[in-house]
Amino acid sequence: MWNEAAGTFVFYLIAFFSIFTALTVVYTRRILRAAIALACVLVCSAGFYVMLDFEFLAGVQVMVYVGGIVVLMLFAIMLTSSAELIVDRPSFQRRFVGVLISIGFFFVTTTAFWATDFPVAESTKDTLFTKVSIEGEKAEPLDDVVELGKKLLDYGPEGYVLPFEIISLLLLSVMIGGIIIARKPPQLENKE
Amino acid sequence: MNILDLLSIPILNISSSGWETITIAQRAADALSGNSIELTIFFLILCILITVSMLAGLGMVLIYAERKIAGHFQCRLGPMRVGWHGTLQAFADVLKLLLKEDLVPARADKLLHLGAPFLSILATVLGLAIIPMSPSIQVIDVNIGVVYVTAITGLGVLGALIAGWSSNNKWSLLGAMRAGAQLISYELSATLGILVIVLFAGSLQLSEIIQSQAEGWWIWRAHIVGIIAFFIFLIASTAELNRTPFDLPEGESELTGGFHTEYSGLRFAFFFLSEFVNMFVASALVVTLFFGGWMPFHIGNWEAFNSIMDLIPPAIWFAGKSAFFIFLLMWFRWTFPRMRIDQLMRLEWKILLPIGFANIFLASLVILTKFHF
Repeated sequence: MWNEAAGTFVFYLIAFFSIFTALTVVYTRRILRAAIALACVLVCSAGFYVMLDFEFLAGVQVMVYVGGIVVLMLFAIMLTSSAELIVDRPSFQRRFVGVLISIGFFFVTTTAFWATDFPVAESTKDTLFTKVSIEGEKAEPLDDVVELGKKLLDYGPEGYVLPFEIISLLLLSVMIGGIIIARKPPQLENKE
Repeated sequence: MNILDLLSIPILNISSSGWETITIAQRAADALSGNSIELTIFFLILCILITVSMLAGLGMVLIYAERKIAGHFQCRLGPMRVGWHGTLQAFADVLKLLLKEDLVPARADKLLHLGAPFLSILATVLGLAIIPMSPSIQVIDVNIGVVYVTAITGLGVLGALIAGWSSNNKWSLLGAMRAGAQLISYELSATLGILVIVLFAGSLQLSEIIQSQAEGWWIWRAHIVGIIAFFIFLIASTAELNRTPFDLPEGESELTGGFHTEYSGLRFAFFFLSEFVNMFVASALVVTLFFGGWMPFHIGNWEAFNSIMDLIPPAIWFAGKSAFFIFLLMWFRWTFPRMRIDQLMRLEWKILLPIGFANIFLASLVILTKFHF
């Protein structure tokens, strides 16, 4: 009994905090506060992953989004604005369009959730040639990092090595592009 | 449940037969699923007590040690007046900090200015919670240990950045920018150092990394690769701690006090405390990854020597090893001059990072060819 009660309590705690900070991102007029509130939202979603017993994703979420992307945003804000700066309230037209778009987005996502059937995966067993699902037995969530790593680098039919390599190539090209844009233009040699 | 049942719980069941790790959070979870809420609350309070007492106790001890060591390195005695050999000096320091006025600059972003020290200390507390101090003294043991450590370092960066920006002072802002740039850069090298050990241990979990060193510590078993990884990790974590020779974010001769220039009283104490306790966390990580954590020191098949070493409890092994690395960090601070910002960036991006990448490649070759002890 206590187990479920504690779980539910923690879930609602995270959920309310998540919604509160998400609203803060939109409503605050100080831009750095918005960035910090965004970091809180991201930490909250990491909390949900922990509640779903998937700690690896939670760790990566905090590492990449909070430690990487939010810090990058903070740097950009720090280089461009001051602590005293307060952003003006948006005009009526902008708010009206914003409300329309967010209602539309809310409608689309909720319909997508209602319309989609989320079947619980059935646990599989290995036969000689293929994997066969066992009727009526729920699959256990796999949170083993070793298995995850093997799957990521597996070049069999169920492996993900191709997308993994394509993503790393993409990142490499983005990084080289960034360096080329950021470097100083080559000095013109003095002509005699 | 009466009090006698509580006392009979094996809180310290250290047996030499199996080094089974039972964390306190694990005990709390077991109690919760066993439907005894009293026991759960007891263990949760124990979790909080351990981290808080570690935070306060370590802070005091390390501040005293730093002042004493600094004194002796400079051929003075250090604090001598308060108590025997100045042992009560730390209490006096804390009392002074607590009684100081808490100032907030008039044009600062008050909410963030007040909140930043808490973010800093939060990262430290989360770091303390995962440190395996002995098989039975560890608050949580997540199975993604190393990823967790890297993630909370990111939280620490946020604290420094927010503190510097919200103070609305150019010295603070410059200090924060330096701290941020330095932490983000050196995090890469630190992670590369850790990854070598993850490759050898085959696990991300800190307790399993320690268990994998039962045959010998990784600094010895992984020979050359391990030693290179150790040096990379040590240098990178010194930089992440903002300690000399990498203390540019504070750089009192250039920036007055860096990102915490505008802080006073208790809030300054929070930054100070988190910096000192982070030093312990970093040393504990070095010990866990490379020096066998709480494992005793064994030499080959010297049976008599090994069994004498086994008699010393794991917690003492752990404390001794960490104390040595804390001393090493203090030694660095009082012997090396401060680097310039361009030297700092050059060291990371042009020296440490390429060595780190080459080292991790070499480490995978060593593991594939089983060319290690």
